[in-house]
Amino acid sequence: MEALSHMAVFLREPWLIALVAAGTCAGVYVGAIPGLSGTMAVSLLVSFTFGWEQHSALAVMVGVYVGSVFGGSRSAILLNIPGAPAAVATALDGYALAKQGRAGEAMGLATSQSVIGTLLGVLALATCAPLVAGIARNFHSIDYLMLSLMGLMMVGSLSGRSVRFGLIAGCIGIFLGCVGVDGQTAVKRFTFNIVYLNSGVDYVVAMIGLFGASEALSQITDMKATPVKQKVDKILPSWTESAKYLWLTVKSSIIGVLVGALPGAGGDIAALLSYDQAKRSIKNPSAPFGKGAVEGIIAPESANNAAIGGAFIPMLTLGIPGDAVTAVLISALTIQGLRPGPNLISQTPDLFWLIVASLLFASFFLLVFGLTGIKAFTKIVEVPKGILMPTILILSVIGAYAIRNSVYDILWMFGFGIIGYFLKRFNYPIAPIVLGVILTRLCEENYRRGVMLQGGSVMGMLGSIFTSYISIALFVLLVVLFVTQTEGYKHWQAKRRGEA
Amino acid sequence: MMRKIFALILVLCLAVPAFSADYPAQNITGVVQWGAGGGTDSLMRPLSAIAEQSLGKSIIIQNMTGATGSIATQYVFDAPTDGYTLLMGAENPALYDVLEISELTYNNFDCVYLIGDEVVGVVVGKNSPYKSLKEIVDAALKAPWTIKISTTGTGGLPWEVGAFITDITGAMFNQIPYDSDASAKTAVINGECDFTVCKVQSGIEDWKAGDLKFLCMLSEKPVPVMPDVPLVTAEYPDFSKYLPWGPFYGVFVKKGTDSAIQAKLSDAFTKAGPQESYQKVLANFNINFLGYSGEEAAKYISSWRENTITALKNSGAFD
Repeated sequence: MEALSHMAVFLREPWLIALVAAGTCAGVYVGAIPGLSGTMAVSLLVSFTFGWEQHSALAVMVGVYVGSVFGGSRSAILLNIPGAPAAVATALDGYALAKQGRAGEAMGLATSQSVIGTLLGVLALATCAPLVAGIARNFHSIDYLMLSLMGLMMVGSLSGRSVRFGLIAGCIGIFLGCVGVDGQTAVKRFTFNIVYLNSGVDYVVAMIGLFGASEALSQITDMKATPVKQKVDKILPSWTESAKYLWLTVKSSIIGVLVGALPGAGGDIAALLSYDQAKRSIKNPSAPFGKGAVEGIIAPESANNAAIGGAFIPMLTLGIPGDAVTAVLISALTIQGLRPGPNLISQTPDLFWLIVASLLFASFFLLVFGLTGIKAFTKIVEVPKGILMPTILILSVIGAYAIRNSVYDILWMFGFGIIGYFLKRFNYPIAPIVLGVILTRLCEENYRRGVMLQGGSVMGMLGSIFTSYISIALFVLLVVLFVTQTEGYKHWQAKRRGEA
Repeated sequence: MMRKIFALILVLCLAVPAFSADYPAQNITGVVQWGAGGGTDSLMRPLSAIAEQSLGKSIIIQNMTGATGSIATQYVFDAPTDGYTLLMGAENPALYDVLEISELTYNNFDCVYLIGDEVVGVVVGKNSPYKSLKEIVDAALKAPWTIKISTTGTGGLPWEVGAFITDITGAMFNQIPYDSDASAKTAVINGECDFTVCKVQSGIEDWKAGDLKFLCMLSEKPVPVMPDVPLVTAEYPDFSKYLPWGPFYGVFVKKGTDSAIQAKLSDAFTKAGPQESYQKVLANFNINFLGYSGEEAAKYISSWRENTITALKNSGAFD
């Protein structure tokens, strides 16, 4: 009841609803453009809303956050260019659907799944925040190491037809992820004394180059192909269809909430892990994964939006950000005179419920803005290539520059574009490169930390797995994931099925 | 974002030579060397929002992160000395040369406004067996390299203070680097590490909730919000030679910038700093307001640098 009375603030201050709506709408477009991110938009809002009262400032920021996480799927589906790292997995099957003339259906599905994902994330935030926060806080270095190893095993899922090609691509990514000043010892690696290489390769730059620029390059060399005519009659997935995939949605959302709540991992890793999970667990997808499976949109899209609710959990209960956007929100709250930390909810319960209510309204507006623009959006795919491809290149340049305002990032972006172009020509998958760049630091730093914590003993680090329930659970999961990928297990499975 | 792109286009198209008399004739870029939402960023955005009222032009904040802030420092150093690119930084560049992060230091810049500094303390988790810094030090003296201090990497705050403690007590610690002060703090709360050093601002809420215990403060006088936490000098009087010490925050221009332009900037920030709304922000972050500019700021920074380098050298953190 108390919760309801706090949430009723939206009845007393109805303009908040308009602010959430405006934020969500702006967020969708910010998210759709590669390089413009929700983090940038929300940090701009911190200066812009300095002097506003808390409720209004928070309402618009929450809207932008939710909108931008969803927006990334738009460009992923239409152009094969994920608008944000959290949409990398969506591009795999989303773009395949667009090539079949089913972009409208894919965007409709992404919308409905993002809305359901957001709602499930809010549900977790409202009902089991302390539980999830406890897990997040007790996640040790060794646990992050195991999580990142699970992520690296996804090279298999993202490889398409040949695991060998996938492994090569993954290694390129891991190598590039090593460039820059090592955060733990301040040693420079592969920087050749160029100051601008010190900060390493930003994985968003890698993503824009590998997906955006390389796509534009490959399409320009193949100008004769006519754009695919898009069907727009079937946009909203039917209830029966949504119900059919409900279990997948729920599973993916749970992954989203948990990974989103971890301070060291966010929606991008959540989306990739749940794509992997869908690919492993679904025996008969609607189409093979990577060739337009709707399951390949459902899993990452529900997970990355559920990660929003997840990221708010440590932020509101512990004062520790779950991702980059919540880090900005913590500073916004402090500037506004609030004190983010373990006492925030007991001191200002109204604020907690304001955020919950804002998230609920934001998911409603996501449905509205996500579905109304689809017909116009599908026209993008039908734009002649002579116009579309240069536009993509220009957007890629702006996006790469905007991340850190660095001209070097534009060069990196083109470098990645050219690598991506050749890899595509020779049928190498490119998603494993992004995976490698995203996970290298997480994996390496936590491995080194795990060893250092045991006084330099690798065996000691392995032994430390058996000192916490979280570590043991992750270890079992890791072993299961590994074993089920081996040839021996697949053989045994096939044989067992043959006998049955 | 549109503002940023618009500003970029403006800068590219209208790169007309600026004269100090009509400065500022265009919007000013404030390059923050740490990420959006971090401590530095949170202090610079509201300050800029107030200062731009008296400047008459906008200060557009850009976060340029990476390599302990040296990317941003290099960027501002490479920009023209026309006062349109400001470096908004924390204490880190003062030590870049000795830590071999970059050849640039604050010696290559003039401080137009030194906002303030903050107090740091030694903290342990709530279940820690250690009741004082002395107990930690004694344990480390008995078994060197076994007591784990969580740091934010070489050159970070806990690393520096760890070196001070080593210098004064001779105790050696196992340094475990984390990627942010939030994760270094979490490592102490969940028991992965034994202790760390954190700013009052980043530990106060966990302290109120009982998750963190402040063992002592590196300060000359008690911290008003935590009056009962003892000072480090109570156990180790030798510490007084390094005090006051703490991270500081300031706004800088490249050396060689016209003095009239510097004066205009200092003036705008000096007017903005003491305003009530900004003082509230500083209070929320537990920052000791200094509000220095010109000579005073330069003196503060150079003595900070001398003190820190002496301690780091004595502790053997580098030679």
